[in-house]
Amino acid sequence: MPIALNKEIVGKEYPPFAVTLERVKIKEFAQAIGDLNAHYLDDAVGRASPWGDIIAPPTFPVTFRDEASDSAALLRDLDVDISRVLHGEQEFASFRPLTPGETLLCRTRVVDVYEKPGRTGPLGFVVREMTVTDRDNDIVATMRQVTVVRL
Amino acid sequence: MKYGKLYYEDVAVGAEGPPLVKGPLQQIQLTRYAGASGDFNPIHQDEEFARAAGMGGVFAHGMLSMGFVAQALTDWAGPGTVRTLSVRFAALVRLKDTVTCRARVLAKTATGDLHVVEVEVWAENQRGEKVVTGRATLQLPTRLSSVA
Repeated sequence: MPIALNKEIVGKEYPPFAVTLERVKIKEFAQAIGDLNAHYLDDAVGRASPWGDIIAPPTFPVTFRDEASDSAALLRDLDVDISRVLHGEQEFASFRPLTPGETLLCRTRVVDVYEKPGRTGPLGFVVREMTVTDRDNDIVATMRQVTVVRL
Repeated sequence: MKYGKLYYEDVAVGAEGPPLVKGPLQQIQLTRYAGASGDFNPIHQDEEFARAAGMGGVFAHGMLSMGFVAQALTDWAGPGTVRTLSVRFAALVRLKDTVTCRARVLAKTATGDLHVVEVEVWAENQRGEKVVTGRATLQLPTRLSSVA
């Protein structure tokens, strides 16, 4: 008997949370990918660059998490076990490079929930969007994530 | 090594960036990526858990493959050029897989000072199966306006 997804979650906004970009976390992230670009890892190269510091790799905003607003919170809301979920799609838009030390505000909301038949059984899709703003309230990045649930 | 700088004028529609080959993937990289990203789903770490979940064993974070795709773009075009990147995770990437990331120019658009290149991106495993498909936009400098 497949499980059902609670579609009333569409429109839910999770508590906004702040993140401060840590130099060492940017470097760890680039190194974990094996992306050894000096603009992510070398402070001297960063200082001499147009941005005045190292910058974060394009997918770094995926590290912006908060226990009240992250995927675990979503799974609690859906009453779905983590062993059932897959990452279906991911989008990033970047409006400027991100540098260490800045504090950003992240807001996540659920924008869609739908179901479709899959090759091995019914699948649920949960679409979330995150908007990331800086201290001037300018949007610096957005993220869209599709989580797939094996129902 | 690399750190390309790509000018808008030097990009032709249909041209491909240099392929980026990553792997063979080892468990330690998935563990490292879990720590760096904060995604500790045991399905990427624990063989028993992944089998019990019906996934046939551990597989890589989709976001790790997306990170590879982003690296292919910035190795080619330069850091700080990626304006948008959107992908679909088309197939699982397993331990010992080799992932090759590719990009091909679909369109060029110049609007005022903004010079943007739209590219198709994809990653394939050692059997030629696509594991990631998607699109990206790159904002590039021009030879005319660039003083750097």
